[in-house]
This record gives sequence, C-alpha cells and structure tokens, in this order.
Amino acid sequence: MWGWRSSRTFVIGTAGLIFAVGCILPVAYLFTTSLTGIDAAAAALFLDARQRTLLYNTTLLGVGAAVLSTAIGAPLGVTLARVPLKRKAAIRVVLAAPMLLPPYVVALAWMYLGTRGGVLAALVDRDVVASWTYSLPAAIVVLSLVFYPLSMLASEVALRRIDGRLEEAGLVVASPGRVLRRITLPLAAPSIAAAALIIFVLAVSEFSVPGLLRVRVYTTEVFTAFAALYDFSRAIVLAVPLLTLCAAVGAVAARLLGDRIVSARRLTGSHPPLFDRWRRGARLAVAMVILVAVGLPIVVLAREALNGRAGGASLAGSGEAIANSLILSTIGATVVAAVAVCLGYARARARGRVANLADILFVVLFAVPSTIVGVGLIGLWNRPGVFGTIYGTDTMFILAYLARFVPVAALILAAAVRYVPISHEEAAAAAGAGWLRTMRRIVLPQLRLGLAAAWIVVFVLSFGELGASVLIAPPGESTLPIRIYTIIANAPPAQVAALALLQALVIFTPLAVLGTVASLREAH
Amino acid sequence: MPSVSRPISIQVCAVVAAVGLGACQSLEPTPSAGRQVTVYVSTDRVFSEPVLREYEKRSGVTVNAVYDTEETKSTGLANRLLAEKARPQADVFWSNEPVRTLMLKSRAALASYKSPSAQGIPTVLVDTDGYWTGFSARIRVIAYNTTLVKPGEAPRSVFDLADPKWRGQVAIADPRFGSTSFHVAALYALAGDEKVDDFFRRLKANGVRVVDGNSVVRDLVARGEVKVGLTDTDDVNVALENGQPIAMVLPDKDGLGVPVMPNMVSLIANAPHPGEGRKLVDYLLSADVERQLAQSEAVQIPLHSGVQGPKNIPAIDTFKPMTLDYANVANRVEDATKRLADILGL
Repeated sequence: MWGWRSSRTFVIGTAGLIFAVGCILPVAYLFTTSLTGIDAAAAALFLDARQRTLLYNTTLLGVGAAVLSTAIGAPLGVTLARVPLKRKAAIRVVLAAPMLLPPYVVALAWMYLGTRGGVLAALVDRDVVASWTYSLPAAIVVLSLVFYPLSMLASEVALRRIDGRLEEAGLVVASPGRVLRRITLPLAAPSIAAAALIIFVLAVSEFSVPGLLRVRVYTTEVFTAFAALYDFSRAIVLAVPLLTLCAAVGAVAARLLGDRIVSARRLTGSHPPLFDRWRRGARLAVAMVILVAVGLPIVVLAREALNGRAGGASLAGSGEAIANSLILSTIGATVVAAVAVCLGYARARARGRVANLADILFVVLFAVPSTIVGVGLIGLWNRPGVFGTIYGTDTMFILAYLARFVPVAALILAAAVRYVPISHEEAAAAAGAGWLRTMRRIVLPQLRLGLAAAWIVVFVLSFGELGASVLIAPPGESTLPIRIYTIIANAPPAQVAALALLQALVIFTPLAVLGTVASLREAH
Repeated sequence: MPSVSRPISIQVCAVVAAVGLGACQSLEPTPSAGRQVTVYVSTDRVFSEPVLREYEKRSGVTVNAVYDTEETKSTGLANRLLAEKARPQADVFWSNEPVRTLMLKSRAALASYKSPSAQGIPTVLVDTDGYWTGFSARIRVIAYNTTLVKPGEAPRSVFDLADPKWRGQVAIADPRFGSTSFHVAALYALAGDEKVDDFFRRLKANGVRVVDGNSVVRDLVARGEVKVGLTDTDDVNVALENGQPIAMVLPDKDGLGVPVMPNMVSLIANAPHPGEGRKLVDYLLSADVERQLAQSEAVQIPLHSGVQGPKNIPAIDTFKPMTLDYANVANRVEDATKRLADILGL
C-alpha cells in the first residue's frame, strides 16, 4: 500500500507537502532568520528568576486548565453519550457555546463580574472576589469555562464509537458505575487525554486571558517583546521555552497513551442506558454548567452593553466583515480538515518513534504564538514572484488558518482514526478495493463524527483568529475580529461588550442551525 | 444510533463547495485600473476612517486602509511594517503617537518627504530630515472625579499622584504600550532615571491600579472607583460629552511642561505608490484635516494656527508643553519598559 505509485502515497504525500510548506516553513523561516547572531544576553533569558516565574505560571496555567476542563467536560460527554435526555442535540449546542466565545470575551465578563464595583460587589454591597479577579486561578477558571466543550465533544465522540455490546456484557456481572470505570472510560481514555493535551496547548499559547487578568506567562512576554519593544529576536527567544514545554508535555502524553488501539465494530445498535436512573442528577448538572459557563458571561456582557452607549453605527457597519469571516472560516475549516484527515490517518497508522515524533511536532506547531506565525508568513510569502502574487490576497487568511490549525485538527482526527479498526481496511484490500475506495467507502464514513468535530473546532478557531490575521490581512479587507479590535481601541466598555456579544452571536448562529438540522434528523 | 445521513452530508459538502467557489471570486480584491494608495493607520479607526473616506471622495483615489488594533490586544501595524520592510505594501503610515514612528525611522522603514502642507506647523513637531511630520495633537492629562475631588485639591503634577493621600485612588494605563509608554519615556528623558524610578516605586506602594487602556482609566474615574487617573484628552472628552462627573488638569504646567502627543504621518521607504503617497501626506497635513479632527469626537488640537480647536480642550498656545526631543524619547522606551516591568511587576 505504501508503494511509490500507490494512491495512498500520493494523497498522504501531498498532504505532507502542504503541511510542510503551510505550517512548518513559516515558523522555521522566522526562527532561522531571527535567531542567527543571538548574543549572550538573549541566552541569559533562560536562566533568571523572571524566567523561572514565567515557566512556573505557564505550566500551572496549562495543567490547571486541562485538568479543570476535563473535570467539567468529560462527565458532560458521558452524560450526552449515555444518559437519555430529551432535546439532547439542543443541549449539546448550548453546552458547546462557550467554545464559540473568544476567551477574551469570557475574561471580560469575569472582570465585569468580579472586579471592584462589578456585578457581584453591587449585589452584596462589598468587594467579594475583587482580589481574585486578577490572578492565576482566575485565568485557569476562565480558560476552563471556554475550553471544556473540547473535552465534552471528544468524550462523547469516543463513547459513541465504543461497541455497546462490550458494556452490555459488563452489565451482566457489574453495576453501571463499575462498567463505566472498568470498560467505558478506559476505552475512551485516548480521546479524553488527547483533548486534555489540546486544551493544555491552547491554554499555554493563549495570550488575551492572561494579558487581561495580569498573569505573567510566556505569551504575555512574547507579546510585550513585539508590541512594546519591536524586538523580533527577543520574541522568538522567549517563545523557545514555551515550545520546549509543549514538546515535553507532548512527549509525556505520547508515552503514556502509547498506541492503544481500540477494537470496535461498526455500530449496529444503540448503547445500553447505563445511567437511566441518573437522569435527574444529569439534568441538574447540565443546567448548572449552562448557567455558569453560558448564561453568566452573556448576562454580564449584556448588562454592560446596556449600561451605556453601545454605538449602533459600529455594529451596523460590520456586515461585510461578518460575511468575510463566515466565508473565510468555512473555506479555512474545510481546507484544514481535508489536509488534517490525511495527516491524522497517517499518524494513527504509524508506529513507534515516527508516531511519537509526529505528536510532538503537532503539539509544538500548535503552540507557536499567532504573532510569530503571522510574521513568519509575511517573511515567507511577501517576496517577488509567485509567492508575491499570493501575498496581498485573501488566500493569506487561508494560509494563516492552515499554519495555525492543521496541527490541532490532525491531533483530533488521529484520535478518531484510532477507533477505526485496521482490519476493516485489510479486509477491503483483500477484497480488491484500492486505498482511495477503502477510504471513501469504509474509513471516512466511520470518521464522520470526528470530522464534524474537527471541522467545527477549526471553524470556531479560524473565526476568532486575530494575532496572525491582523498581520496578513490585505489592505481594505477585514474579518469581524479585526474590525472589532480596531474599533474597541479606546471604546467604552458598553461598546466592547456589545461587539463581543455580536461576535458570539455570529459564530453561534450557523452552528445552531447545523445543530437544529441534526436534531431534526435525529428526531425523524 | 441515528446518524447524519449521506444525503445531508452531501448537501453540506455541496454548500461548502459553492460557498468556496463563490468566495474565490467575490473575496479577491478587484484589480483597480485606477489610482490607489495604501495607508496603515494607528489612529483610532472611528476618527481616521471618515477623514480617509473624505479624501477618496475628493481625489478619486482608492484608499486601501489597514487599521490598527487596540494596543494591548495585538501587536499591531508597526510590526507589520517592519516585517514587510523588504517589500512594502503600504505607502503611508499615519500614527497617533510618536514612539512607533520614531522606531520605524530608526529601522530605516521610512522615506523622507517634506510636505508643503507642513508650513505653519511648529518646527519642533516637524522632523528636520523630513521622515515625519506632526499634526493634530492630544495631550496627557490628570483626570479627576468632580464629586469626590474639589478642583483646588486635584493633583497638579504627575509626581503628586504618589502622595499617600491618593492611596488606592490612582489608575494608569499599562505603561508599556501606547500613549502611556510615550509619557513615561518622556518623563525618563526629562526628569532622569532616579527620580522617575522612585516615583513609580512610590506609586506602586500607594496601590496604583494598572489597567488595560486610557478609556478604562477614564471610566474608573468617572464611576468614582478611583479619584484620579492619567489619561488623554480625547478620552476625558467622551466622558464630558456624556455629562459624567469628570474634569482634567494639565499636569506640570509650571514645571516639566505638559506632554503633547501629535499624530505623525510618514512616507514609507520603497512604497509601491510614492506619488499618491505624497498627495495623501499633503492632505493629512492640511488645515482642513486638522479642522475635521478637532470637530470630531477625537477633539484633537490643531497645530496650524488659525484653525479652531475643540471645545473643552485648551489651545496649544495656552500652556507650556514639554520640550521634547522626540527621537530621544523614542530611544528611552525600551529601557523604560523594562524598568517598569520590574518596578510595577508587569
């Protein structure tokens, strides 16, 4: 199957080439051009007390967000997969909504809620949590409230892939709780762990939340090096410990997870109602999460938006930017998913060191700060010739999304491919089917949930992408986040809150429509 | 388990493909056969966009504008200009404060052009080499809440903010970015490292609140969450127009002088449309644009004499400005940023 002329080699090779040019080259280009001639002062960045504080804060932020997100999201995923609830598709969409809010927006809501003179202080007539508002624990909580849907969706997809007959067999001799602990969760563990790893990387590469809540981490230092000091070399040097941390975590995760292949047959029936009697408790838990993670930020932002002049003209003039964002995110998510499914497949079918190195590479590339990606894209594409004809067009947005999000999509899809038994492909090959046919008729249909999840994640991330986009946006073109961030410079909080709600609504609407359609199909 | 069926999967794919094909045609910028100019703008979009649209109408030239994002949220246009230096896309850079422009000059990203429209602008605000010209200024002020602070009690100098009587009642924007970074660098350049380091240490001990931007400072003062804060004239004006209980003091009128921050406009080195770029520079430096900016919510102070200034804001010739070598101030920014990162724990 891996012959030079095989379709598999051609397709995976093409995806690999796109990955190399689109994702690796911009970053490698910037690192090599900025790090030549590095002096001893830059090397000292690694050793002083400030750096140790940064390393400690960054690690704690990532681990804390991953753990708390999983603690919230995984039980919700189990609930959606195993507890019979009415209107489950709608519940899923609502629970996933925080992922649609830019982390900065949720951090803003937190500030309006907890700061001195904020909502809580107004309610109880004294500062209750003001001292906690700007803190590392606050940043962990905010990021967890944004990222738990990743864990939730990964858990649900993994549980739905498990053959229900395994659990049915377990229920004959054990309680539902024991079946969950000894059969279901271990089978779902690779996906849950993969989601936790992605959340870790998202958290440590996130700038806006720690920046707003005044937590000193590597991303805020990189940002300062760019924005306050205009020092590219310093910014690159500061990114190295961040990327090293992510590589280390990726290596540990790869070692722990190994290449556990889950044997599962194609689903032919429903899963046993493991937790039928836990329905009431599940409904209560879901309601609480929706209240805290979805309702609270929106209510706080709406209150702030209504408190002052929201600036109708600013909102009204955003139509073109909204259209641009939707179209570009749709194209970007589709292109990224197409490349990532090939890479994810190759990763899932690889073994040993190659597989582990691939995981580490995906994690490290995903962690590269968006500004570095943007500057790297400019350096690579803004030159005479063919590259230059592309620079200055909207294709640069797609290239930015490729550079930033192919790694995370590949990780998601690799986890999904692991649930497709290789024996299915072998059987197809034995029957005379070529690789492309096998992929089209056997593998991809089994990946549809994983593909949908990856597409949605990339769509949301692309829609909210700012750091690289602001650097490569063609003059005269704008996406909604760029427009919002150019307007909120010195805008009143009411306007900021109103624009944040607009962005959330624009992302939420098409996904709600998709969710409703899926729900109607499910009911039908 | 019910699943998303083939027909709907095909429908979704078809929609995506149609959107994609349509987008390829609709999103690619239509090549303009006419004249065009590309300008990167750091001045707030809500103020600068109307000025540029007006230029488009009058001149018939297509203006491709790239606006800057809020300074503490994204790295901004100055970095883009540096990254594009080998093959610039922009013709003109319009900045709302001196630091970025002076930094770009020091990195050889600007081209020299002495516009005839600069006549009448004070020479201290015009680069002798022609790499930048100042226009339409803002000034740094001390804002205070009029319900909590009587006019006679308001601080008169920036250094008064470290007085223990203002403990926990002072707000400043992050001094690493924007106009606050300019103000801080100016203090270091004029007053010396020892005095300014000591001032910020005392400010920190006094419980100063470092917030996200000048508008946040203004809002905290207007709401009475703090009594005083350092911010810009255009920010205070927004609150004044809204009838909020706020007033401003021009700091150090009798001492170091009041920090004046002009907008700056520059031609980009090796710009793709230098001829159109020069015409846009001439327009931006005109008295007409200064009038537009003075009368807008930007309330920026005209530097050309004879142009009526905004209400609520004193005219440039009614106070003593800081005597600044802007290049020297820009050189102090990096050092000041590092000092304050340590002193204020940023």
